[in-house]
Amino acid sequence: MGSVQVKNLVKKYDKAIALKGVDLDIKEGEFYALLGPSGCGKTTTMRCIAGFETPTSGEILIGDKVVNNVPANRRNCGMVFQSYALFPHYNVFENVAYSLTIRDLYSGSLGQRIKTFGRLMSKRLGKPTKEIEKKVQDALDYVELGHLADRGVNELSGGQQQRVALARALVMEPSVLLMDEPLSNLDKKLRNTMRTTIRKIQQDLKITTIFVTHDQEEAMSMADHVAVMRDGEIVQMATPTELYSNPKDPFVADFVGSSNIYKGQVLKKNEKGNTVVKITDEIVLESETHTDKSEVEVLVRPEGIEIIREASTPKTENVVEAKVKVSTYLGPTIRYDIELDGMDVMVEEEFQPNTALYKEGDIIKVHLPSERVLLI
Amino acid sequence: MSSVNQDKQPKKDTKFRGWLRTIDSLKVMKWVVYLFFFLFLVLPLVSVFLVSFTGQPVNLLGSLVNPDIMATNIERLSNASFEHYSLLLGGTYFSALQNSLALAIGVSILVILMCIPLAYAFARTTMPYKKTLAALCTIPLIVPTFISAAGFIIMFGRTGWVNTMYQSLGFDGVLIDAYSMTSIVLIQVFFFFPFALWPMVAAFKIADISLEEASNNMGAKNWSTMVFITFPLAIPGIISAALLIFTVSFSDFGTPIILAPDGLNLIVVEAYREISGFFNWAGASILTIVMVAVAAIFFWLQRYVTKNMDYGTLSGKPKGTKLNDSKIVTRSLLVFTILVLVLPMSAIFSVLLQSFATTWGTGLLPRGFTMDHYATVFTRSGDNILNSILLAGGALIISVIVATLVSYFVVRENTSKLDFMSSIPLIVPGIALGIAYIQTFNTAPLQLTGTAFLLIVAYAVRRMPYMIRSTMGTMMAIKSDIEEAAVNLGASKLVAIITVVGPLMLPGIAAGSILVFVTVIKETSITVLMAPSDWAPMSLMVFQNLLRGEVYTASAMAMLIIVLVIILQTAANKITKNSLY
Ligand SMILES: Nc1ncnc2c1ncn2[C@@H]1O[C@H](COP(=O)(O)OP(=O)(O)OP(=O)(O)O)[C@@H](O)[C@H]1O
Ligand SMILES: [Mg+2]
Repeated sequence: MGSVQVKNLVKKYDKAIALKGVDLDIKEGEFYALLGPSGCGKTTTMRCIAGFETPTSGEILIGDKVVNNVPANRRNCGMVFQSYALFPHYNVFENVAYSLTIRDLYSGSLGQRIKTFGRLMSKRLGKPTKEIEKKVQDALDYVELGHLADRGVNELSGGQQQRVALARALVMEPSVLLMDEPLSNLDKKLRNTMRTTIRKIQQDLKITTIFVTHDQEEAMSMADHVAVMRDGEIVQMATPTELYSNPKDPFVADFVGSSNIYKGQVLKKNEKGNTVVKITDEIVLESETHTDKSEVEVLVRPEGIEIIREASTPKTENVVEAKVKVSTYLGPTIRYDIELDGMDVMVEEEFQPNTALYKEGDIIKVHLPSERVLLI
Repeated sequence: MSSVNQDKQPKKDTKFRGWLRTIDSLKVMKWVVYLFFFLFLVLPLVSVFLVSFTGQPVNLLGSLVNPDIMATNIERLSNASFEHYSLLLGGTYFSALQNSLALAIGVSILVILMCIPLAYAFARTTMPYKKTLAALCTIPLIVPTFISAAGFIIMFGRTGWVNTMYQSLGFDGVLIDAYSMTSIVLIQVFFFFPFALWPMVAAFKIADISLEEASNNMGAKNWSTMVFITFPLAIPGIISAALLIFTVSFSDFGTPIILAPDGLNLIVVEAYREISGFFNWAGASILTIVMVAVAAIFFWLQRYVTKNMDYGTLSGKPKGTKLNDSKIVTRSLLVFTILVLVLPMSAIFSVLLQSFATTWGTGLLPRGFTMDHYATVFTRSGDNILNSILLAGGALIISVIVATLVSYFVVRENTSKLDFMSSIPLIVPGIALGIAYIQTFNTAPLQLTGTAFLLIVAYAVRRMPYMIRSTMGTMMAIKSDIEEAAVNLGASKLVAIITVVGPLMLPGIAAGSILVFVTVIKETSITVLMAPSDWAPMSLMVFQNLLRGEVYTASAMAMLIIVLVIILQTAANKITKNSLY
């Protein structure tokens, strides 16, 4: 087990700069997600940590040791590949046993090594040791594949292959577990179960995990910490809740959830200590965010906006009139696309069986609570 | 003393190990592969090149280790001149080159003329028995040419059965003299044509069908579409096939060495005589350079044509070809195809008959039949069979290792230098490679001439391109992340290659190995030139028996080779078809 630190990591290719100085500080036992759009350098970062790419500059530390010059096979990073990269010529058991067998190959007497080598070449040339057998069986039981040990890996479903890949990485008791978009090849339902499985295993084993994804929902629901990347740089590093409620810039805000973002001008502070911003002549809002800037981006999450119905208590500030353009029923929530003085705004409301849905053209009143109006 | 040693040894050991750990085993392998190609390909060719100017042995390796040798070499090199090349301008070398070129050009033209109807038949008609005929059309390729030559002697020798038949029909003399240019041409035409046939079938199949349909729609007759549209479209393919045949014919050693009459000078035979008969270094090296140059030019031309061809034909996938099913056409093509097969099949059949014959004099058939020759082969020549297997096995091991590594470096690390180097053997005729080896490894520090080891290396190098083609294909199909997974799980790169990449490449390696094994067993030129007498393989035995007139045992042994080759080749095809994963 170990912490991972990446300091000012730069990776240049002939024609492209993939990483422009990435810093990461991952504590032991943490579940860390790297989130970002395609091509932003997530895979490159991970491959540098695993040792498959040599950084152009920068330092990588695993468990307080600089590993820049440690070859990939001695870094003890368990990696789960996007394509699983299972060995097609080995069955499930042999796949999972590979790292342990290799470990035997590099230790012990010459005779034993020759035996181990034979075992790697063909299962007919030798039996695994009791110790390996037990560890592998445990690992397989752990991912609920104990009964499939003798299967060929091509005779497994996608989800099963995924779990074999996971068991294969876990059995070597890696100091860090690296996963590159491990769920992207699975269908939505399986993805949800695997999310829980991976999170549970990570919590059980308290294993430092770096998880690459471009799916914000995945990152936010699984990780302790999320690093959002863009163009080879880390834009923000924070816990999921902080990232959501306090994004550093519009890119992050947009990337970690759907949002309404507008340009605004800061007018003054009012008597409550709230900042007053003007978005259009008609729409002037109060916000609890403090800012020194005069031009800001105003961000309001769709579910932060309340629709005022007769029954609810009257609000005074931040209440505006709007026109419903489209209403979409999403199951547990309803989404309204509304128009506020010429601006398109998205609102999400929980579905309640006994309230009526608004239709296109309805005029409604909405309240934007000052604590939900973020200025960035 | 011993206690001191015991104290020191473990320390040394760990130090050594520590040092070992710092080197990248894969890089070492890369240097080993480079060294291999340098020693056994670049060095011999460069040496021969230098010898062609000095006329005297040049010991490049020796120069590196011994200043005296260096001095001699420098002196010899300073006397270098084009003097020896003047030999080419007239006399026997000139006529040898002339004859060889004429032979190769003639054979190419005849093969193409013969293959046009054949290729059309296979690609564009509903000719009956297509499958069987296609299988029969590959058989000539399987038979080593010196065995076909033996078959020709049985048919067209002075007492050969064809000539006997000819005389009994009332003619005088012989129909064809077995020992003549005509019979050399016939053998090469009828045994090399499959090299051209299958590429030409492909060319005919690929030629743009939509253009033909357009032509037919505009009212053109089928035959005019054929002549004006199909045929011109297939021309690049045909030219490429012709160039290939040229190279094959030009470098063929088996046929001329057995059948060339005294008055007929051919470059391969001339080179062979110079080196093994007269030890004429200058002459042999010049002929070697000429052979390599000619082969290289034609090889390059062929590549050039094929490369340009790909652009034209990649345009679209032909949708269901409309095959010509006119009765007259298919029937006459069937007859033609069978006629083409008559000659090679009778040659093989003659060898078969002779291998069972008690004696076979002037009659149409042998006097009687016996298994004796096979018994003799197995009792007296068991060693030769074993030698063949050992030599081929040795060559196979070398080529598997080198080819696997080369494919790895080329595919994964983009090492184009290795790719280029490993394809050089394609342009070096066997006899040329043999001469280069004999001259280069003649003296210390690397005195290998006359050893089985050098023969094995020569076999391996000569067939390396085929092996690499086979392994490269499978290597490209293996995704790099599988290998990275192995490294990630603790294996060094080399161990990852051996345990993961290697097994996944097995289908390619297996198919390639069988082909290497087969060609080594068939190999004539290098064998005849380089095989030490206590390592004589089957092919050398057949060759010597033929020269000694022990034709019956030669035939039995030849049949053995043919059967072995057919079995192995079928196995190779099976493996490539249903690869393991
Ligand atoms: N071997 C390479 N040679 C040159 N450029 C590369 C190479 N590998 C990656 N890049 C470039 O580096 C950048 C980062 O690539 P990377 O694979 O890390 O992206 P990613 O964030 O993992 O994207 P995705 O979500 O699509 O997997 C890209 O612009 C890519 O084009
Ligand atoms: Mg990626």
